[in-house]
Amino acid sequence: MAVPVPDATTLTPGPPPLPPLLAGGRRLRAQRAGRWLRLWVPAAVVILVLAICFLLPLVITLPSSTNGNILQAGDPPFSPGHWLGTDAVGVDIFSQLVYGGRVAFEVSLAVTGIGLVAGGLLGVAAGYFGGWADAILSRLLDILIAFPALVLALAIAEGLGPNEFHEILALCVFSIPSFGRLTRGATLVIRDHPYMVAARLSGTRGWRVIARHVLPNIMPGIVTFSLLGVGLLIILDGALDYLGWGIQPPTASWGNMIYNGYQVMTAQPEYVLIPSIVLVIVVVALNLLGDELRVRWGGQQ
Amino acid sequence: MSKRTACLAGAAALIVTAAACSSSSSSQGPGSASPVAGGTITVLEGQGFSGDWPYGFDPATDVTGAANQDFFDAVYGQLFDLGANGKIEPDLATGYTFSANAETVTITLRQGVTFSDGTPFNAQAVYWNWMRDLGPLAVKAGIESMWDLKRVNPKVPTSAPVAGAIQVTGPYTIVVHQDVPNGAFIDQLFDAIANWIASPTAVQKEGQTKFAQYPVGAGPFTVVSDTYNSQLVVKKNPHYWQAGHPYLNEIIFKSVSGDEAAYESLLANQGQVYEDLSTTQILSQAGHHFTEEDNPGTSPYDLQLNTAVAPFNNVKARQAIYAATNFSPILSKIFGNRYPVTESFTGPGGICYDPNVSGYQGYDQTLAKTLIAESGLSKVTFTLGTINSSPVAIETTEALRTEWEALGMHVKIANYPLAGLISAFEANGGKSWTAMIQTAGAFDPAAGVGVGFRFGSLSPFSGVHDPALDKLLAQATSFTSLSQRCGYYNQAAAYIADHYYGPFYFTFAPANIAVKGVYGPGLTSPLPSVAVVPVIPWQDVYYHPAAS
Amino acid sequence: MALAQQIQLQGSDAGARERARRIAGSPALIVVGRRLLSAIVVVWGVTFMTFVVLSALPNDTAQVLLGLHATPADVARLNHALGLDEPFPVRYWHWLVSVLHGNLGTDLEGASVNSQLAQHLPVTMELLAYALVGSVVLALIVAVLAARKPGGIADRVSTAISLLGLSAAPYVVALLLIIVASVELNLFPVQSNSLGSGSVLSFVQQGTLPAASLGFPLFAIFTRLLRADLLDQMQREDYIVTAKAKGISPWQVLVRHALRNSLYNLITVIGLNLGQLIGALAIIETIFSVPGIGSELLTALGNKDIPLIEGITLVFAVVTVLGNLLADLMYAVLDPRIRHGRAQS
Repeated sequence: MAVPVPDATTLTPGPPPLPPLLAGGRRLRAQRAGRWLRLWVPAAVVILVLAICFLLPLVITLPSSTNGNILQAGDPPFSPGHWLGTDAVGVDIFSQLVYGGRVAFEVSLAVTGIGLVAGGLLGVAAGYFGGWADAILSRLLDILIAFPALVLALAIAEGLGPNEFHEILALCVFSIPSFGRLTRGATLVIRDHPYMVAARLSGTRGWRVIARHVLPNIMPGIVTFSLLGVGLLIILDGALDYLGWGIQPPTASWGNMIYNGYQVMTAQPEYVLIPSIVLVIVVVALNLLGDELRVRWGGQQ
Repeated sequence: MSKRTACLAGAAALIVTAAACSSSSSSQGPGSASPVAGGTITVLEGQGFSGDWPYGFDPATDVTGAANQDFFDAVYGQLFDLGANGKIEPDLATGYTFSANAETVTITLRQGVTFSDGTPFNAQAVYWNWMRDLGPLAVKAGIESMWDLKRVNPKVPTSAPVAGAIQVTGPYTIVVHQDVPNGAFIDQLFDAIANWIASPTAVQKEGQTKFAQYPVGAGPFTVVSDTYNSQLVVKKNPHYWQAGHPYLNEIIFKSVSGDEAAYESLLANQGQVYEDLSTTQILSQAGHHFTEEDNPGTSPYDLQLNTAVAPFNNVKARQAIYAATNFSPILSKIFGNRYPVTESFTGPGGICYDPNVSGYQGYDQTLAKTLIAESGLSKVTFTLGTINSSPVAIETTEALRTEWEALGMHVKIANYPLAGLISAFEANGGKSWTAMIQTAGAFDPAAGVGVGFRFGSLSPFSGVHDPALDKLLAQATSFTSLSQRCGYYNQAAAYIADHYYGPFYFTFAPANIAVKGVYGPGLTSPLPSVAVVPVIPWQDVYYHPAAS
Repeated sequence: MALAQQIQLQGSDAGARERARRIAGSPALIVVGRRLLSAIVVVWGVTFMTFVVLSALPNDTAQVLLGLHATPADVARLNHALGLDEPFPVRYWHWLVSVLHGNLGTDLEGASVNSQLAQHLPVTMELLAYALVGSVVLALIVAVLAARKPGGIADRVSTAISLLGLSAAPYVVALLLIIVASVELNLFPVQSNSLGSGSVLSFVQQGTLPAASLGFPLFAIFTRLLRADLLDQMQREDYIVTAKAKGISPWQVLVRHALRNSLYNLITVIGLNLGQLIGALAIIETIFSVPGIGSELLTALGNKDIPLIEGITLVFAVVTVLGNLLADLMYAVLDPRIRHGRAQS
């Protein structure tokens, strides 16, 4: 659950550098193929999961993910009408995975999006304009980031009542400063590059410079960081749901499924294995995708 | 009977709401191996119930009641025990007599007993303890008055009892003069703090805080080490009055996070006994590896409806719930059909058992729909709560919700930890909660998590405020004759059914599992529950490691 | 924030450049001083934020303490005595003052929050230390093995494991470890509820699974970091030249010098990740029944034990800030660029 929050992108350890492309037909093609696979396999997995979670219920009528028929409780996988079986009170497992995935992505994408926009703007402003604004902003970001995310989310859930919206709120307190620090660092790095100095000397106004030069250059790093962040947030959301302070039952969530599965882990391991495997696959795909994009766009390792 | 202790005892007992009573007892029967002295066993206790003891073991501050009863019994022993056949057995007290009007009880104590610190156990020590249990320390802890005694300040129920309300009439005799007849006095002792006598010398010498952690009593074991909510180690008391007991040299009680963790630990040979297993899926497998004991239940599962607030202040709404609930698939799918269905607050292990109540409203879907429409129940959202430490309890609330929502009702589920559950009952003057799945009943309905606890107007954990019912319940304790008492309890059950105060489902008792080679009441032979859970008398447990 | 960036902050005009040179030339003490100052601001900010968040919690401490039969008048009186009905700034001030005096109040069960922390905090710290040390050591070994032959088997395996470490949730890892190492192989106990109160052996026995669950993601990050650093350094020619000059293998030079520099990065990363680590702690402690402050926090939340929640949250926040501060300090002060910069000017 610990993904490095870099101060500057240089501090983030990256994936292993690829072996140099060798001249020579077959090897080169193999390496190119390898690189293509490394990008598109995880991308395909992510797209597939998103499609299943958000589009499938619109196309097929899935059994309810919150209400089950007690008469069908405990059905094994591949039972008629229940592709992955049902849990102890008859709720369909596949539906729980689908709708749980929806919630997981809703939370993580929302938090990442808000962090990206709000944190990104704050960070770029701080990095570009500098001075007192930067000092104050940096301290503020430090304070927000110093707070352990899970603890804050728990406290907010306890105080305001646990639900999806409050969870997003709580996690934004963590993601906004993360993005803030990242963009600020990246902005600082390129701030004094010659073309940037030239742009400023030529009289272009600050925000124009930012929009035209800063943003496009720091974007690749931000995007890859976002993908890794989405994975981290899915895990964090799962943790909150597992502890019972996130999405409340009967609304389906992966963390809750894992928690319920744990109660009968030795007797019926499939209940904990199914959501765990799905969780790991999704986050692995996101991480692989993020890594590969960073290699292609970043070139800073 | 300390109401508050009873309250919390009951609330604590709620956690074991769906503890399973295995239908097939794979016990090896009593006496299939003769007792052997010596040995150490590790006993696992689930968090959220018996695995939590945040206040230690001072009787005067014990608010966890039934949950930690076997620890208290191990260290202090009891005045009277509830025996395997439902009989009252002498332990540190040898006998009792009731006065003709059942208001006065005389108790004779065992002679020649000393506390583990060597000081004498006698009527003076018992008196000192009982006055302390009624004193400011217990009041501050939230323990309400144990008995209906004359008080110095009659308007304040927690003021000290008048001189003479409790009398020492001999070196080993003590008398209690109550204000009302109470035929259930002895039964009520079983999980009351009055049953546990601390050494007055030790309490005064160590101070309350230290004493709570390292209590001194006259029981079969003494405390070696005690880390609250984590681990308790006790060893054999060499001066225990009952020759030959305890058999075991040492017991290590360890807190585990739940049924699954306990089961894993037992499978990995990291424990020998686990008390109060309730997860059905684990139970169905546990029998293959371990001994599982079938204990006769005394506390039925009951759905409490709060008659003080909407929607269940409307009798039609309450009847609708009776008619809308089809419990048999729940019993079959969630509980594996292990328990006998019941319609009242008594169970096969307790007194006055009566599974059928005439005129009880059963499952009737058509009637339910009519009643829901007539009472407007489908227009409101109500909350159904239970304790969150039992997976099967939570599953039951989910199943009920689904059944009711299929008929058009709107239900929200709330699962609480023990402290949260108590708050939920008490919040807003008792007007916050609407429906709760809990247990009602005890060995004697007048004791512990008995019927008054759930249906009496003075109990904070009751949804019923009906003086007529209170009168019936009071009459049921006014006699010492069992047949008279049971007559009134039957009337009370019929009254509850007539007014639809809350449906009953089934009687259960938790299962205890042990590795092969451990023998004892509650582990290899049946033991009735005092209140929901059977309390294992650790002095009668022995261990043949070779047999495992 | 690196000193270099701080320098950049000052702007690019000549006067600023002069100031920057002076800063670079001034003793490390001033840098430390500025760090500490900003850290104090951050710590204060965190405590303030803690209090703000927790004030939002509905506080019926008085009701719970007095029990069911308390009249509203009683509750109001106790609220007044506890200072719970005062306006927010007053309450904050009282709280801050008592915190500064080291008194964190009494929890709902009557124990002092300080004593609860004293009992449970060491266990958590020990577990954390075990996880950190273990993951650093393992990461060192694996990174060295991997960097020796980039693209080789050790490298690929370590990459795959790192990926898993970053992607697997600690609670999933914990459950898996329980099934494999506890139940099947019976190597470790299923529950660790007397962690920290026994011998070293019992600590290792009970602490390994929770530490492994916590440390796996750390191990992944550290391995990647160290490996990247090592490979980075390996390409630098001066190592090879120095090695040849000294007559030892380039590998030994690498290990001696590169790893030392990597350690700064390592510490910075630990500091930055402390917050998330603490979050993971709560779950791991619950799963393994470790009697640390993570599980204490969850119990307190369940019981709505406000004083205890406040105390523990405060400790978490302060520890995180101190961790960040330490990382910052190490990075800034021990950054060789500063040391060399001083020598040059």
